[in-house]
Amino acid sequence: METPKLLLVDDETAITDNLAPFLKRSGFDVTTAADGEQALKQVTSFQPEIIILDVMMPKLDGREVLRRLRNAGNWTPIILLTQVGEATERAMALEEGADDYLNKPFDPHELTARIRAVLRRARPGKPPLAAARQLTCGDLRLDRQARRVWIEERELALTPKAFALLEYALTHPDEVLTRERLLDAVWGWDYPVGTRAVDTRVAELRRALDDDPSNPCYIETVPGVGYRFAGTVESA
Amino acid sequence: MRRHWPWLFAALVVPAPAVLGIATSVMLSRAIAPEEMQSVYLQADVAALAWICGSLFSLLLGAVFLIAVWEHRRDNAWRAEIERNQTQAAAQASEEAAEDRRRFLRRLDHELKNPLTAIRAGLANLAESPSQDVQQETLNSVETQILRISHLVADLRKLAELETRPLERTPVDMTALLEEAVNVAKDLPETADRRITLTVPQAPWPLPHVAGDWDLLFLAVYNLLDNARKFTQTGDTLEVRAFEDGAMIVIEVADTGPGIPEEDLPHVWEELYRGKGARGIPGSGLGLALVRAIIERHGGQTSVRSRAGQGTVFTLRLPTT
Repeated sequence: METPKLLLVDDETAITDNLAPFLKRSGFDVTTAADGEQALKQVTSFQPEIIILDVMMPKLDGREVLRRLRNAGNWTPIILLTQVGEATERAMALEEGADDYLNKPFDPHELTARIRAVLRRARPGKPPLAAARQLTCGDLRLDRQARRVWIEERELALTPKAFALLEYALTHPDEVLTRERLLDAVWGWDYPVGTRAVDTRVAELRRALDDDPSNPCYIETVPGVGYRFAGTVESA
Repeated sequence: MRRHWPWLFAALVVPAPAVLGIATSVMLSRAIAPEEMQSVYLQADVAALAWICGSLFSLLLGAVFLIAVWEHRRDNAWRAEIERNQTQAAAQASEEAAEDRRRFLRRLDHELKNPLTAIRAGLANLAESPSQDVQQETLNSVETQILRISHLVADLRKLAELETRPLERTPVDMTALLEEAVNVAKDLPETADRRITLTVPQAPWPLPHVAGDWDLLFLAVYNLLDNARKFTQTGDTLEVRAFEDGAMIVIEVADTGPGIPEEDLPHVWEELYRGKGARGIPGSGLGLALVRAIIERHGGQTSVRSRAGQGTVFTLRLPTT
């Protein structure tokens, strides 16, 4: 059985001490680093297939490590562990070329699910969809910097939440997106009956995209779980 | 200019009798004195005039000086008074902030203590218990306590974020929002035996829209309903009422629960505050603080009225578009 090489970077030893054995048992070949400088050295010597990177660290923080790797043309998949759940922080993480992010505190099973999804999605040596400025899926075009969406030449009027939802779906195609995960990723925090809020926004998005829920081109319902972006996404 | 007119007036009026006296003296001397004495009289008059003018001018200068000194002292005293007041107000505000902080830390300490104690006890059990059933039970209990702390941390983050994160401002149909919140509350199994009603105006016109974040406003109304549910019993009534009041929408969530003791009322919106009546009822103590933060971010106000044994009414006031 294949054991992907994983580098876990966090300055909090309580986290690495408990998380590393869990990830090993989950089938990964794990090495840890306690700060950003060590992480950069390990990337060269250990050559991981995926990096789990904490943002807040002494010496060199996670964001800077990510920037240096991407500037050097290293596109090893990276999942950021953010402490601050702010929307701006999350958007910045993706813009700077992270493949995904997870808010602390998280369920370790959720982390392994994300790792597998990112590894499945990874295109060796190429920037992740999450770092692309523009994303397309057939006639649909989304400009992440301008925060605008078009179908062919027609621009869609979306609320900021619906835009963020579409952006997240496009950067995570063909993945089951549970309502809880969408809440965490797009809303930043859970709401009571928040899953209803997700359904309302997905309905709004489907209306705007003119997507038939029973025969969807874009957003598929995964019964009892959540949604999946069904189209093929390209970075432009 | 206004400040100077009394001085101008004084400068013109005060020497007037002297000038008049000198003029009379000159005229009289011309009329009655012999020709050769005229110049002597004139010299005497001029000397007298010079003497009077000099004296008056000195007096005026002296008065101006004294008044300037007095005004300067008075201004200084005022300034000192204002500064003293400002310092006192700042000291009071910082003392209140420090007291708020101490209170918050005491409550946070209290909220964390119980789950942490439970976790430590659970871990001690786990290390010593040979039975697999007990181990599983302990693990479940530890997980519950960890989730409790996670929820607390998540709610604290929500509160902190609410202060800074940009609000999504779209026109929110409050009638639809209230209907949905009431429907969600009615669907909860715990509220099946409460009477829940919603009253919103339709005539002559429905409620106007509010510019805001649907999800946050929904959370605020839902938190109030959930609170009312927690503090009421079988057969109690929950009423949601909304009406327009000038440029505001007023939303009331009322219940026939036990009411809130008067001494708790001023504190119910504070973070982690749990009144006497709230002990033993699950919750983080952050629900109402979140409601207040959301409504204030939308430019509105919150208030509460309650009578022991009769019930409570929470009021939200939101500016319309």
